[in-house]
Amino acid sequence: MAMNPMEQFEVKPLIAEPLFSIGGHPIYFTNQALFMCVVVVSAALFLTLTVSKGRLVPSRGQSMAEVSYEFVANMIRSTMGEDGLVFFPFILTLFMFVLFSNFFGLIPWTFTVTSQIAVTFALASVVILVMIVTGFMKHGLGFLMLFVPKAPWYLLILLVPIEIISFLTRPVSLSVRLFANMLAGHTLLAVFASFVILLGAAGGVLSVLSIAPLLLIVAIFALEMLVSFLQAYVFSILTCIYLNEALHLHDHH
Amino acid sequence: MPTPDPDDLKRLGERIDEAERKHSERKAAPPTSSLSIAFRFATELVAAVVVGCGLGWGIDWAFEHWASVQTRPWGMVVFVLLGAAAGILNVIRAAKEINAEMASKEK
Repeated sequence: MAMNPMEQFEVKPLIAEPLFSIGGHPIYFTNQALFMCVVVVSAALFLTLTVSKGRLVPSRGQSMAEVSYEFVANMIRSTMGEDGLVFFPFILTLFMFVLFSNFFGLIPWTFTVTSQIAVTFALASVVILVMIVTGFMKHGLGFLMLFVPKAPWYLLILLVPIEIISFLTRPVSLSVRLFANMLAGHTLLAVFASFVILLGAAGGVLSVLSIAPLLLIVAIFALEMLVSFLQAYVFSILTCIYLNEALHLHDHH
Repeated sequence: MPTPDPDDLKRLGERIDEAERKHSERKAAPPTSSLSIAFRFATELVAAVVVGCGLGWGIDWAFEHWASVQTRPWGMVVFVLLGAAAGILNVIRAAKEINAEMASKEK
């Protein structure tokens, strides 16, 4: 029996014919695209349908939506202050998209959208672009002072390139963190699942032993639930911190 | 229906304020785990070195390709070192952020 723990991350076209092509590159409708649609639609439905009744005493679904709304609002207030709330729609969208992708990926036979570096890097690039655009709109060319720490001029020759590299690191570390966490967790689950099958098929005492990796899977699954939420949180709070720097230049020094 | 005692109402208002304050404080407390902190430091450090490496390689390539100047491997040597410095800077900043977060949580 061939069991490849990385097989779950394969992007396959669901429709054999490409939808259209951009510059000679055929664009297929893949399992990746399907689950991105599922995630977006379900997150949107979750946030709209649960609050559509707008009860004073919230139902279970409504209070879940309200908690996530308040969670993001509090996160923005504590990192950016009240004027950061202009980014509320952006950050809520990011948070819900990452959270739903992570949680959807935990359902068996689904595809984890955030386990693809292409997706997480695209998200991180959008964050950095928003940061750059906000910075230049708010401070004009003064935004470039972000790269100039308070130091004597002869040290700046060294410090400015370091600050620029440090800035360029942000989209990389932001995307790699989310992608690596999801990839590692799902691979671990698949590896332990294959242990269960291998031990179970071995017969005799070994079959009895297969209960051990099975129990471990339950524990890892619980950990993965935590990681899913935590990574969505980390992604959005770092977005807040970066946008805060664009809004209030040099406050952190 | 008996008219409500204004003192009672005031006390009720104070209790509601108190409860709301506690409520919002509890929600604002970020869930930080040692695992995520460790992972954060690791990615910050490694990503900076990788970015520095890529930049150095790109600069060497650009000089060779467009200006026909042989700078290899010095661009990469310099930028890997700068990248390592940037990585350490990133980690220090991340540690400061996390410390501030922890301090606000304990308050």
